[in-house]
Amino acid sequence: MSQTQTDPRPPSEEQADLSTSDGLVARVRLILSRRTEGRAVALLMVVWVFTLLFEPLVWTSYEVTLGRIALVGLVALGLTAVILMGELDLAVASTLAVSGVIMASFDSLAVGVLAALATGLIVGAVNAFFVVVVGINSFIATLGMLFFLRGAAFVISGEAPVRIADVDAGIAFGQPVIGPLTPRMLLFIVAFVALYIFLSHVRVGREFYAVGGNRQAARDAGIPVVRRVFTGFMISGFISALAGVINTLERTAADPTAGSTVLLASFAAAIIGGVLLNGGRGSVFGTLIGASALGMLQVALTLSGVQVDVQNIVIGSVLLLAVITDPSSLRAAAVTARGLFRSRSERQPTG
Amino acid sequence: MRTRRLTGLVGLLTAGALFLAACGDDGSNDTTTDANEDAAGEDAAGDDGADGGADDGAEDAEEAGADPDDAEFMVYALLPQGNDQPYGTTYLPPMEEAAAELGISLTITNSQYDADTQASDCEVAVAAQPDGIILWPAVGDTVRPCLQAANDAGIPVTVTNSDVNPEDEELTRGYSGPDTYGQGAASAELMCEFADGEDIGIIMINGLTGNSTAINRENGFEDTIDEQCSNVEILARQPGNWNADESQIAASEMITAVGAANIQGVYAADDTMVAGAIDALRARDIDPADLIITSIGNTFLGNPLVIDGSLDGKVFQSSSWDGENAVTLMHEVLTQDPGERIVRFMPDVKVTIDNAEDPDVEPEW
Repeated sequence: MSQTQTDPRPPSEEQADLSTSDGLVARVRLILSRRTEGRAVALLMVVWVFTLLFEPLVWTSYEVTLGRIALVGLVALGLTAVILMGELDLAVASTLAVSGVIMASFDSLAVGVLAALATGLIVGAVNAFFVVVVGINSFIATLGMLFFLRGAAFVISGEAPVRIADVDAGIAFGQPVIGPLTPRMLLFIVAFVALYIFLSHVRVGREFYAVGGNRQAARDAGIPVVRRVFTGFMISGFISALAGVINTLERTAADPTAGSTVLLASFAAAIIGGVLLNGGRGSVFGTLIGASALGMLQVALTLSGVQVDVQNIVIGSVLLLAVITDPSSLRAAAVTARGLFRSRSERQPTG
Repeated sequence: MRTRRLTGLVGLLTAGALFLAACGDDGSNDTTTDANEDAAGEDAAGDDGADGGADDGAEDAEEAGADPDDAEFMVYALLPQGNDQPYGTTYLPPMEEAAAELGISLTITNSQYDADTQASDCEVAVAAQPDGIILWPAVGDTVRPCLQAANDAGIPVTVTNSDVNPEDEELTRGYSGPDTYGQGAASAELMCEFADGEDIGIIMINGLTGNSTAINRENGFEDTIDEQCSNVEILARQPGNWNADESQIAASEMITAVGAANIQGVYAADDTMVAGAIDALRARDIDPADLIITSIGNTFLGNPLVIDGSLDGKVFQSSSWDGENAVTLMHEVLTQDPGERIVRFMPDVKVTIDNAEDPDVEPEW
């Protein structure tokens, strides 16, 4: 569980808390204080209650719900690796689209899949090159990549959807293989477990937090920041490409316009999951919970026949709620409020 | 202190999220027809261009709103647009009105032209086991798994507005809507007719890249030009994404690239985009009346352009016909179970200055 953020207070203060409190309770409190998924868990519980009361079909048709969670969550997992280092990857949706088109352009599915995944890795490496070698802000660098890849997807596809060579294989890919689990869900679980282990139990992964928390301190501590950023972007590119491969197989065709809703949904899942946009704090577990809450909410609203405009309002509101209830935002708001209050009371005439 | 803060935070979130969920549920609890009627009414009211027909439609739909609990059939309509587009705004009220009259409870989704979202909506629809699914494909090439899943679950699917690929037709029970290829062809026939054998160069503004309707109209137009009037040359083409502003930019760029003197005609794949293209011409001090301009659709934006002579001709498309027939076709499938696939094309009426003010081609959206 070491993948979450450290408490902003100095360690000595934490230890003092621990030593003065009663054993287990104090430990639980300390662990809870270090977790970042609180808001996502709260939202998930609300969604559970809501769906149990109003849309039980969300639970009885759990395979549909799981599919939606995997759809929303997969790209979000890769994105988490980049955000943890305080960077952004706006090119995830375009990577998804272009890798799908590349995959469908090959007659052999296997070669197509490999080419698509390689494309994701290359895109990630190019993004990282611009960010850490050239020194361009990741927002700008990946925004440029977003447009480049979107255009490339149109050019490669001839501005039309490209059907995969073996449509039957694509349809078979969308069928459950273990119980209700389709390959999409299984790959999502594999990606989650792999990233979880990488970010919490592998030194290289744990250094992502240090890079995101304080890059200069990470450099001073001997962490190879450039390599870590490359790794993060390549993970994001690879997972986006994997999502593109899965989508293309399941739909039996690559759509150059694909992924139009992916970028915002992925960011939403990560942010609701407690991943700090400035980096250094968050977890893939939080992203999983965020994606689960979002996915279930979307399925429930769709089943209820709620218009997509209203769905967007609900999801946007949840996102805003997640951002404004971030502990650091609350602390900043409290400081501002105290400052305002103090300055007003100082201006009060004394007598 | 810390526990208190955590508890407070959870309490705040719970209350907020419950409030949000309740907001989202407002439209849904009454199910679907009512929710859609409300939204349709709001949008129609807010749409400057769609005052008359849209408002009437929304009112009618409201009057005809049957209690979904009494509905004979439950049908999912998987659409790629809704009240977020002018066409969808006037497509929905007649659809809902027809559904209420025929005892159909409609659940309408809007994937906003995202094929993955529509596929996911389709999974939800199949899981809900409705009596039928009305599908307007976001991307025609990607709907086969959805059709297959519905077929496997024994749920009949009818298609609206934009037909599926020929190889997927066997998985659907019918199609109602425009012949999108034929519309492109009819607009090209108008262009050929107005060119009258003279050598002319034109620019072409297409719909959203990758979209089935856009592709079919482009192919229909180009094939017909090739077959019927080789004197018309397409000098440049750009997508206008069904949007007037983007179309204006695209037209302006093409005028610069090709040279205004070389352009004698403009084709735009719909009325909204042709209005943008005409604005681009005017911005360059080019009188649109001097050019041959054709398009498709029958909007409040496009009709006055035909009447004032800026737009030479276009092919009529009725959103209300489209929405209403989507439901009546599904009802026919559910009640009569016809053995063969039904295809019901919207009539391709050519609108020029001679008939632009006829009631039959009155603009709707």
